[in-house]
Amino acid sequence: MAQEIVRYRKATRVLHHVHTAAFVVLFLTGLVLFIPQLSFIAQGGWTRVLHRIAAVIFAVAPVLYVLFNWEAAKKGIKEAFTWGAEDIKWLKAAPGYYFFNDESKMPPQGHMNTGQKMWWSIVLVFGALFVLTGIFMWFLKDILPAATFQWMVFFHDVSFIVTGCMLFVHIYLGVIHPLMTEAWKSITKGTVSAEYAKSHHGKWFKEASKRKPKGA
Amino acid sequence: MADKAILFDSTRCTACRGCQAACKNWNENDENIPTVENGVDARNTGSYENPPDLSTSTWLRMRFTEVERQGKLSWFFTRVSCMHCTDAACVKVCPDGALFYDDLTGFVAYDKDLCTGCGYCVEFCPFDVPRTDRNVITGLAKMDKCTLCTTPGLNRLDAGEKPACVKACPPKALLYDDRDKLVALGKQRVQTLKAAGLNNANLYGENELDGLHVLYVLEDSPDAYGLPVDPKVPGVAIAWQDIIQPLGWIMGGATIVGLGLNYLVARQAKIRKEQTAKKEE
Repeated sequence: MAQEIVRYRKATRVLHHVHTAAFVVLFLTGLVLFIPQLSFIAQGGWTRVLHRIAAVIFAVAPVLYVLFNWEAAKKGIKEAFTWGAEDIKWLKAAPGYYFFNDESKMPPQGHMNTGQKMWWSIVLVFGALFVLTGIFMWFLKDILPAATFQWMVFFHDVSFIVTGCMLFVHIYLGVIHPLMTEAWKSITKGTVSAEYAKSHHGKWFKEASKRKPKGA
Repeated sequence: MADKAILFDSTRCTACRGCQAACKNWNENDENIPTVENGVDARNTGSYENPPDLSTSTWLRMRFTEVERQGKLSWFFTRVSCMHCTDAACVKVCPDGALFYDDLTGFVAYDKDLCTGCGYCVEFCPFDVPRTDRNVITGLAKMDKCTLCTTPGLNRLDAGEKPACVKACPPKALLYDDRDKLVALGKQRVQTLKAAGLNNANLYGENELDGLHVLYVLEDSPDAYGLPVDPKVPGVAIAWQDIIQPLGWIMGGATIVGLGLNYLVARQAKIRKEQTAKKEE
């Protein structure tokens, strides 16, 4: 059997699934507010209760992760905001690769490629914006000036649109795209084959093979 | 059918609050003993004004604004209730279609069964009228406001009756009729007041928010009555409902279509590459 490299540790994978499940619930219970034809689903307000339960999980799960995995969290957050010239090259070459399987111009990538970093930084920024605006809308509604509340609703919706669209892209690339053969495995089992790591994350593979394989 | 309206003449009002009582009585909002627990914050606040605020079971109340005229204490009386705007912020932001325009009268009608309790109407109303009884933890809530006596099952207008508040008003400070007629009548009344020396008299609601369905004859500026001088649908509501949301649907649609196209192209490219690889072997 080919050599396997650890890509995501168990704690990271659990956080991913818990957070995703919470987000999907939040997404669907929020979506009914944008389709008047579906508003009958929300009658009685049970979607609002569900939205709040999921919101607590969505907000608390990452905090617990950070508390118990401080080093990994620090590394992960740093990764999201470390950008360089390589990323520009990647962005230029990406359409050729993702549409036409042209790997020739793709620069070797680290643990996360540019696209993954984009999504990951969107998750961090808009996740925080979601939680912040949500707290205002949930608990401070009666205290806030109406204008402040209005802007909170506005930015909650902007976050919803950005992360909602990107969630489709994320699921598509992780599960459906013909070339992402081991993305799903990496987040369920936590490992990828050496071959996949070499072609998709060349830089990371080099670093990982130098030391004892560890992952993030 | 022509739009209907209520004309409130503040200079005729004696603040007997018969309208308040009639409103509660007709709309079955009178079952509660007025306590904070029952949603009616009725306590003495050093004024004849009571209760001090609207609530889910108080859809109309009279506001007493103290003013000094010729060295004497006097009041401006203001009817505080839904103004039934033609361009209503609450209808714009309501996600469930629970708030909508009544075809026959132009009023902002309300179907309580459809309300899911989001409370956007509460925060976006330029007149601060809708109220909810929200549970802070669960978020469960229902909004309530004046339906101009069109609540299903309690619809006075369909029965050919006037709204309860109008019917109850002893000095005829409240009138109900075609909106056009009331605008003309209001203007006439303003002229009379001006002729009597009340130079600041004005008709409020003729053009505000494309025309309110509750018109006020005031003897001083709306400001003096605690009414917004130039009420507007908040800019955020317009940016949100007319720009961001359509943009969101376009982005969402484009994303899904784009991903579908990508799948078709990328799968072909992969198959071609594999075939080329095979041939080379």
